[in-house]
This record gives sequence, structure tokens and C-alpha cells, in this order.
Amino acid sequence: MSRTFWAIVGKELLSFIRSWQLVLVVLYSFTVEVYIAGSGIEINPRNVAVGYVDDTGGGISQKILARLHGPEFLPPHRFKSQEELSRAIFDKEIIVGIVFDADFEKNLRQGRNAQLNVLLDATAASQAYTTMGYLQSILLDIAAPDLPIDVASHKLFNENADNHTFMALTEMLSIITMLTVILTAVVFVKEKEQGTWDIMLLMPVDPKLIILAKSFSQVLIVMAGIVISLGFIVLGAFQTPLNGSFAAFALLSFFYVCASAGIGLFIAAIARDVMQVAQLSIIVMMPLIFLSGAWTPIYAMHPVLQTVSLASPLRYYIEGTESIFYRGSGWIDLLPYFGGVIAVGGIMYWIGFRKIGRLF
Amino acid sequence: MRLRIIRAYIYKELVELVRSRFIVMVFLLPTMLLLLFGYGIRMEVTGARTLIIDNDNSVLSQRLIAKFEHSRYFRTQVEPISEAQALRRIKQARADVIVVIPESFEKRVLHHQRTGIGVFVDAAFPSRGVTMETYVRGVILDAASDLGKERSANLIAINQRTLFNQAMRDEDAIVPGLIGLVLLVSPAILGALLIVKEKERGTIFNFYASPLSKWEFITAKLIPAFLLHSLNIFVLFLWAVYVFDVPFRGSFWLYWIASEIYLLISISIGMLISVVTRTQIVAVVLTIIITIIPGFMYSGIIMPISSMSGPSQIEAHIFPVMYYNHILYDVFLIGEGIESEKTARYLGIMIVYSAILLGLGRLFLRKELK
Repeated sequence: MSRTFWAIVGKELLSFIRSWQLVLVVLYSFTVEVYIAGSGIEINPRNVAVGYVDDTGGGISQKILARLHGPEFLPPHRFKSQEELSRAIFDKEIIVGIVFDADFEKNLRQGRNAQLNVLLDATAASQAYTTMGYLQSILLDIAAPDLPIDVASHKLFNENADNHTFMALTEMLSIITMLTVILTAVVFVKEKEQGTWDIMLLMPVDPKLIILAKSFSQVLIVMAGIVISLGFIVLGAFQTPLNGSFAAFALLSFFYVCASAGIGLFIAAIARDVMQVAQLSIIVMMPLIFLSGAWTPIYAMHPVLQTVSLASPLRYYIEGTESIFYRGSGWIDLLPYFGGVIAVGGIMYWIGFRKIGRLF
Repeated sequence: MRLRIIRAYIYKELVELVRSRFIVMVFLLPTMLLLLFGYGIRMEVTGARTLIIDNDNSVLSQRLIAKFEHSRYFRTQVEPISEAQALRRIKQARADVIVVIPESFEKRVLHHQRTGIGVFVDAAFPSRGVTMETYVRGVILDAASDLGKERSANLIAINQRTLFNQAMRDEDAIVPGLIGLVLLVSPAILGALLIVKEKERGTIFNFYASPLSKWEFITAKLIPAFLLHSLNIFVLFLWAVYVFDVPFRGSFWLYWIASEIYLLISISIGMLISVVTRTQIVAVVLTIIITIIPGFMYSGIIMPISSMSGPSQIEAHIFPVMYYNHILYDVFLIGEGIESEKTARYLGIMIVYSAILLGLGRLFLRKELK
């Protein structure tokens, strides 16, 4: 019984290693791809390109501009006329344009209401918002320096709002989903395509054992990928804080990978060839990944999508992972996530298992 | 180029696409992606669950709380609980923001003594954390300048003009960029399967043995994919304008022509993958990985190219999506068209780009056994 099981697992692992292109792609996804996603992008407003036109003598205007500095802002760029400034904004080279017109300083010195003209490129909304906030507080500070209110704000769990670790982590979770689903489905469909699957089911070995062993082999491959990705990239290169228990994460990952393998089984049961696996898995995975809260938190979505996302095991996995890594939640707080992954995953695995095991 | 043969080959390809039901995917995937992303991605934060702990209970603190309550960005709850209890709520992901108004807040403000309002934001989702923090600061600042106005009238007013997207709608900012992503991913996947499929099944030997030239083969493979996806250019346009209500301010011709060139680029990327890989599974996984993530990162949806630093700036210029998306945002929101020198230059770059990719595909395609 268990000898047959391990023999099948061994055979699948061997045939995986023999396809060197596939091994390379899997390794690439778990390392380089996660690294690119983590290092490449900064969602927080940084390096906002500011341009200005200054028709005043330059006393107060320079005082204001001097306070727009790095890392949030690039050094402000001076333009000769308002036309030049708007051309740069239209070409998307400048996001925020500030115009100090001739009587700005005069009005201010004489105690009249001075006005500052600001042009914002609203397609970069979060940059525009942040800059407005900065400008507002700078102007308030200059005009009424005696207002004694401080805001002491703390960004919990991620004090610098460092986006790199977060992007790397969610990217790893997406890759886990994608690879598990596709690898599992293809292992079965390849046999179907070559006509050997029916023979497998007719062999004197329990078909349930074959299905379990085959999907387990792919779970092993992905778990190995997770270890590599965590060790070298997420914890290694990006130094992501791991505030919670590592065992909890490993266990949650294992359940989740099994759930994804269930989706793979289901796809394998419907698809007739690898081409169809490709289509089906993309059609199933895309909603799964993008409704999971990796890109936008669930409660900020359209209400219909929120309900749909309850059926996505990735949702529970991502929330659980966030809690383990950043919030450092204990086992009791993690129970709902474990429950979600196991419940949804169990149903999916069971459906897939039933469907693929049926002969003809 | 023998047109008759190419026509026959194209017919065969089309029949195959229909029979394998891949044609469903050609039209379902772009629409599905656009709707999912379009409704699913939100940059702005509305209804952040805000917990206010008012330790002062004064007129001033009530005024501050009212400011929060009147903002659609917050869903406010005032509760007399301790800071530790409130922090525990954030840990359980049941609150997003905590605002703590200290004791004798009003007294200190009126006596010009410094006082601090404590703000705690859940930054487990960093970009949202930052956005929420900005909003909270904005509200407090707003309240403070109201107070400032009552005391001294001499304040600088900001006359703010938001260009291209006056209402600051998320859809306007995201959907045009999404078209660039969708028209990259979906044609690339189709292109990636075209040739490798024949390799895995062994039917590629028909091509090896036939007098068909490499260019004829590539043309015959690309044209059906190209024509089918050309329809998507219009479908996506209709979704954007009529479902998401994105304005269209530029010329439709520019949109159409740029999209066709871009389509050629993305199918060629897929074809290049198809030429170098040996199995379909590798081709599919590779295509997804090298199109979706960079396509999203360098699309300008979440981050303007001008704000990228060093290596990302270079990578963005290597990837085609940046050029196309510049044109997309121009035709949808800005409307300068080809008169803008930058748009014209980017269109030229895209043409050169597609020519290079096609050349590379021709270069790596083999017509004999290794």
C-alpha cells in the first residue's frame, strides 16, 4: 500500500526533474519573479515630480518649495511659463504643477487672502492626494505657526509602510496558486492525452491511491519551491519580518497547496488536452488571485465580488499569511483562516477527486 | 510568399481554434480580466473602519469627530475603550484606523500648549495604510485650519485644478491602463500555444517536410490570432466607455492603429516563447509570468513612470506596455493626439519594437531536426 504510494510519488518527481525547462521555469518563478515583484515597485508616493512657475520675487515661494524634498518628492523643476508647465504635465513628465503668480507674495505680505494655483495630474491619484496633504500642512505652518496640534501617527506592523516585503510575499502566494493548479492538472491530463489514464484506472492498484500519490507529488514540488522562495527571497533578500510562528505558516501553506491541487484535479477532470488546461486554469485562477485581497483588500471591493470572494481559498490564505507575518497573531486568532482554507479546500479537493476518479 | 498556400494554412488554423474551443478563450478572457480588475481594484479608500477614543469630551474634540463622521472616507465609531483594547481590534483585522484624542485636548489648544493626537493605522496592506494616514492627516489639518481661520484671517488658499480626471474617479484612472495589460496577456497566451502545440504533438514535422518557408509559416500562424484579437480592441473600448463610463477625448483612429501595432507586439512575444520552449505547460507558465507582473507594474496604473527610480525606470522602458499605455491615457483622458511629440515618438518605438520581435521569432524558428 504505502510502497505503491511512494513508488508513484517517486516516478512523478523523476519525470518532473527530467523536464529541465519546467524545473527552470518553476525555480525562476519562485526566485527571480518574486524578487522582481518585490524590488520593482513602490506603491507609496515617492519621487513625485513637481514643477513650478515662479513670478514672484522668490522669498516665500522658495520657502515653500524647499519643504518639498525627498524621498517623497523629486527636486522641483522650474518652468519659464505656465504653457511649458502644462505641456510637461500633459506629457506626464510632471505630476504636480505649482504656479506662484505675481501678486501672491504681495497679497500675503499685505495680509490679504493669497492664492496658490496648483495643477494636479489626477491619473496619478495617490501621488496627487499626498502632495495636496503636504502642501496644505506646509502652508498652514507658514501662515499660522502658533497652532499647537501635532499628529503622532503610527503605522502598525509595518512602520515604514515598506511595500517591498508585502509585494514579494503576495507575489509568492500568487505563484504558489498558479503553479499548483497548472502542475497538478497537467500531470493528469498528459496521461489522458496519451490514453494511459484509463489503463491506470483499470490497474489492480486502487485508483484513489494513484490520484492521491500523483497530486501529493506536485504538492511536494510546490512546498519545496515555497521553502526556497522563503529562504532566499522573502526572508533572505527582503528581510521580511516574521512576527508569528513559522510552523503555523508551513501548516497553512500545506493545507492551501492541497486545496489548489484540488482545483487542479477538477480542471484535469474537465479538460481533454493541455491546451484546454491552459485556458481553464487561467479562467479559474485569475478571479481566484484577484479576488483574494492581494491587490485590493476585500472590504474595499464591489459588494457582489465580496460575497464571491468567500469561496476563494486564497482569500483565507492571504489574510492568514498577513496575520502571521505582520500582525504576529497567535494560533487562536488564526483559527478562522485555517477553518476557511480547510473547508473550501476540502470541498474542492473532494469534488476534483470524485470527478477524476470516475472511469469514462 | 505564396498567398494561396498561406490562405489555406490560415483556414486550417482557424478551424483548429474553433474545434479546440480556444476561440471561447480569445473572447472571454479579455472581457473577464477587464471586468474583474475594473471592479476589483480600488486605489482610493472609502469607509475605513475608524475607531475614535475621545478622552477629552469637549466642544473641540466633538468638532473634530464630526469632521470624521462627515467624511465618506471613514466609517466612524466612537467608543470609550482603552488603547490596548483598540489595538487588539486592529490585530484581529476588525478596525483599520484608531484616533486617540488626549485628555485636556481643548484646554491645551486654547492655551497654545502643544498637544498630540494619536493615530494608529493598520499598515499590513502598506499602500492602503499610507493612503489612510494621508486622509486622517487631511481631516485633522482641515479642522486645524478652520480653527486657524477663526483666529487669524491671513491664510493661503489653495486653488487646486485636477486635470484629466476632475472627479478623481478610480475607474478613469485604472481602466485605460487595464486595456494595455489585457491586450498584452491574452494575445501572448494565444501566441505562445500556436507553435509549441505542434512540437509537442509531433505535427511540426509537417512543416519541416513541407516546402512552406519560415515567413509563410509565421504569417499563417499570426494572422488568425491577430484578426480574432482585433475584435477585442473594439469590445474593450465599448466596455470602458459604456460600462465604466470612462471619457474618450482623443482620436479613435489613433487608438485603433496603436492597438493593432500593440497586438502585433504581444502576439509576437507569445510566438517567441512558443519558438524557444518545448512543451505547452512551460510555454503557458512562462507567458503568464513574464506578461502579467511586468505588465501590471509598468503600466502606470499603480505608479507613474516618472516616479520610478533607477533599475525600474530602465525596465519600464524595455517593456512595451509603457509606450502603449501612454497613448491609451492620452486618447482616453488627455486628448492631445499625435500632435504631442512624445506620443508620436512612442508610436514609432512600438513599430520598431514589433519589427524586432518578429525578426527574432524568424531567427529562432527551426525548420529541421536538431
